[in-house]
Amino acid sequence: MSFFDLDFWVGVGVVAGIYGIFTLGLQLNVGFTGLINLGQAGFMCVGAYAMGMLVVDAGWPLGLAFPAAIVIAVAAGALVGLASLRLRADYFGIVTIAFSEIVRYVFQNAAFAGGNQGIIGYDAEWRAFQSWASERLAAIGLGEAAEVPLLVAVWATLLLCLAALRALQLSPWGRVLKAIREDEDAAAALGKNVFAFKLQSLGIAAALATIAGFFLAMNVTYLYPSEFDPSFTFFGYAVLILGGFASYGGVVVGAVLLCALTEGLRFLDLPLSAGQAGSLRFIIVGLILICLSMFRPQGLLGSKAEMQLRA
Amino acid sequence: MTRRLEAASGASVGAPERRFESIPAAARLAAVLIAAAILMSFARGPIAVGQTTLNGLVSAGYLALGAVGLTLVFGTLRIINFAHGDLLTLGAYLTFGISALGLPFWPAAAVAVALTAVIAYALDFIIWEPMRRARTSTLQLFLVAIGLAIVIRYTIQFFAGSQVRGVGQDVLTSVNLGPFHLGALQALVLVVGVVAIAAVGLALAFTRLGKQIRALSDNMALAEVCGIDTRRAVRLIWLIAGGLAALAGVLYAAAVGSVNPNFGFFILLGLFTAAVLGGIGSAYGALAGGIVIGLAQEWSTLFFNTRWKPVVGFAILIVMLLVMPRGIFGGGRARS
Amino acid sequence: MIGRRSLLTAMMAAATAAALLGGLSSARATDQVSLTIGKLLELTGPLSETGPSQDKAVSIAIDYANQSAAAAGVPLKITAVSADAQGDPQAALSAARALVAKGASAIVGPSITPESIAVANGLTIQKKVTLWPTGTAMRLRTIKDEGTIFRTVPPDSLQAYALAAALTDKMGDPKDKLLSIAYRNEPYGEGLAKGLVAAWTAKGGKVQGPVVFDPGQATFDSEAQQVVDNNPDAYVVIDYPDTFAKFGASLVRTGKYDASKLVVPDALAFSTVPSNIPPQALEGARGTRGGSDMSTEAYKLFDQLWTKAGGVEHFALDANSFDSTTLVVLAAAAAHSADAGAIAAKIHDVTRSGAPKFGPTTLGEALKAAWSGEPIDYVGVAGAFEFAANGDPTISRFDIYEYKGGKLDVIKQIDASK
Repeated sequence: MSFFDLDFWVGVGVVAGIYGIFTLGLQLNVGFTGLINLGQAGFMCVGAYAMGMLVVDAGWPLGLAFPAAIVIAVAAGALVGLASLRLRADYFGIVTIAFSEIVRYVFQNAAFAGGNQGIIGYDAEWRAFQSWASERLAAIGLGEAAEVPLLVAVWATLLLCLAALRALQLSPWGRVLKAIREDEDAAAALGKNVFAFKLQSLGIAAALATIAGFFLAMNVTYLYPSEFDPSFTFFGYAVLILGGFASYGGVVVGAVLLCALTEGLRFLDLPLSAGQAGSLRFIIVGLILICLSMFRPQGLLGSKAEMQLRA
Repeated sequence: MTRRLEAASGASVGAPERRFESIPAAARLAAVLIAAAILMSFARGPIAVGQTTLNGLVSAGYLALGAVGLTLVFGTLRIINFAHGDLLTLGAYLTFGISALGLPFWPAAAVAVALTAVIAYALDFIIWEPMRRARTSTLQLFLVAIGLAIVIRYTIQFFAGSQVRGVGQDVLTSVNLGPFHLGALQALVLVVGVVAIAAVGLALAFTRLGKQIRALSDNMALAEVCGIDTRRAVRLIWLIAGGLAALAGVLYAAAVGSVNPNFGFFILLGLFTAAVLGGIGSAYGALAGGIVIGLAQEWSTLFFNTRWKPVVGFAILIVMLLVMPRGIFGGGRARS
Repeated sequence: MIGRRSLLTAMMAAATAAALLGGLSSARATDQVSLTIGKLLELTGPLSETGPSQDKAVSIAIDYANQSAAAAGVPLKITAVSADAQGDPQAALSAARALVAKGASAIVGPSITPESIAVANGLTIQKKVTLWPTGTAMRLRTIKDEGTIFRTVPPDSLQAYALAAALTDKMGDPKDKLLSIAYRNEPYGEGLAKGLVAAWTAKGGKVQGPVVFDPGQATFDSEAQQVVDNNPDAYVVIDYPDTFAKFGASLVRTGKYDASKLVVPDALAFSTVPSNIPPQALEGARGTRGGSDMSTEAYKLFDQLWTKAGGVEHFALDANSFDSTTLVVLAAAAAHSADAGAIAAKIHDVTRSGAPKFGPTTLGEALKAAWSGEPIDYVGVAGAFEFAANGDPTISRFDIYEYKGGKLDVIKQIDASK
């Protein structure tokens, strides 16, 4: 038992997959467009809640609510972008984080979003699917841990998104994006609508956040504002920097490593009180973040050359 | 690269003008606030407005003090110091630690302020300066700040525990000013805050070092070229920022009566809002920003349910950045 | 030719072997049960103030149970493992998995209902691990938990009635009396406030507010002002101790606050008011908490254990976690096993209505009785539980208490179901 418990690590795998999808969006913004999007958790919140409310309040089937939620989150992204993309990079970051906090507070206080009671009950269809899938898996001998269907779903989606983003990057659209990241004014001088590209980048990130939010909602079975704290975004950034700047593959590696590390640390048995052990986990994460940023900012799979983001 | 060139060519010795520019801006702000108060009195009565105004000015005290350090660092070093809130927490907890060794509260606070200032400087020496020399990107600086915030906060929690700590000061005595009341400690916070801001602002305006710091926030490279000892100015900025943050933390703790390790981070976004509102880099701006946010939050309780109070600050921030990104005292460029 | 020496050696060897085997089988016959209890605590995050006291409550329960079991000759040994729920349902789920991986057969905690539901749906229902949250929301009842969730905290609906009853007791007929309500902006506060508003207005009373305050705020002066405005007949503040330290101070500073008009729920019930809450905020105030006919001695013992252990002060709902832990231990004794499912099956047997009653002061006897297979009715520090089928306590008895000189004094007991 103990450290190698299957259920536990399958659970960690699910969380790593969720962070992976979430951070793919961040990578698109930061690594490939040069936008410091600090509000990704806010987009995730909008998307997940939209889906939950459509299912629970409006009675929509999950299969319709989910795509609709993506559209809504992208619209939110467009709104935020339209309002703030003309600001300089660090101010843009602050606006996005303020947006994220406003969203969280609104959902915590507004009656239409369940307020402090959150939203529950939107996952009936998913659960049905999950038990069906579990039976199939048990038949072929993989029925050990209950969360395997979710794990498979998350990772299949993650890898699909990864492939899609990579393809996007190699396309003409992706090349313009890279040019914008390296020198906005030159790109503009060549006649590219820089603003439109940035907006699209933000929109795609919002969509990815919603997808991550969907799986988070299914994993936790309860929608509650504290799940969409800015610390989710900060952790995503930690994944990004660990995996590597401007590397989508790095995001996957970073997510697995960082989640494995932070969750694995739960098993560290030191002669400390419970409270101190809890604090220590966070201290370790913070130190990793500092050391990485100082000494190996390109992360594991990124390249230093790509890091000339802004002087 | 292009942005740097723009900045260098656009930089003038704009510093002296700003001192005088700020007077009409301050007057305009005061006029707006007074007009708003009068209008609201018609709707809710002068006593309610007066009381909430007093409450708001008390919050403005800690917001402003906390924001000054943030704005100086952001303005001169372009670091979004997410760890700043935790310097407030550090100041408060160091005070507890030192007073547990036998010193009474206020002398302990003074020591804690000095200690935090030194720690802030040490952090610059160990972390920020090497990164500046390596000319790292905004993203890296931001991530380091996040990491630092986490480390400071949870180290405090590691040693002090997560439970709320009472501060042991008298939080109940009220000072009565006619139909209004104010906590005695809260009034102290307000007075100390205003005095501190005035002191910093005057120092920036009239001392040589202050002028150097203002030159730095215009353009670091140009300032160096002009022979200003930027390293010394930067060191001083960190000492001031750290010390003021600690002072804000101590006053906050004293006025509120209890703290827990998360409080600094909780008010951090409010501090940013105050700094941006007032104009990045301007100490007077931090005061103005703190006043506006403090008042707005308390005034909002006259019209909206109190549960929306935290959102008021963020909403103002967004509106400000869209409409008047240079802030009230117009420091720095906000558009790219 | 077998010499006498070798014969002697052989006989001794045989005797030793026989003794060993006999010893082994007798060890099996006394089947020592090793139980691990998981503590799902808020150690970091917005509710981290509750972590240390919950930790302590479970720990002293375990220590006390170990002592009692040893003294009563019951072969039960209990240990604890803990994990940080971080105030986030996702992290709570992960933490719960870690606890189960470390061998926990039951989980005490977490503190908020969204986390409890996440843990239940994601883990404990499937693994038949009993979950003992300290959340009071009605939501928890809507989950089909297959008998794995138990709560020792009274649900909001009952406590709301108790609060209304305490108010009526204080000022007579509620008709047209103005009640000013304030609550902390999170599930506990909101749920209870809603119930109270309904209960009070149903009796013809009037309600001012509710004033909702965000726990992260620095000052609550404007909110406190709204509570005392219009000179209401009573106030109810639903809050946790850490925020009440600030809110209470704000109330006193308004200059119009009368603590004797205040009624508070169980989260603000402590035998001695913690040092960071200004005494003037609670002096003469009344409150409700789950009760039993053995309340007084039980709380005395709990208090003694708490003070002897040193460390953090009392906090909200710590007695309830103490009780949850003790119930798990009793069920394990009754089941002769540390298997999660076996324990779940025995919870009702140790809280059987009508069976002989035991309390914290008679824990040793309770363990013995449970071990020998008799059904018992364990009455905890925070009340008699007698769980309904859905795991909610049918506890309807409430203590009404008053704070006199910084200490809690039970002045009455009521039955909230009437």
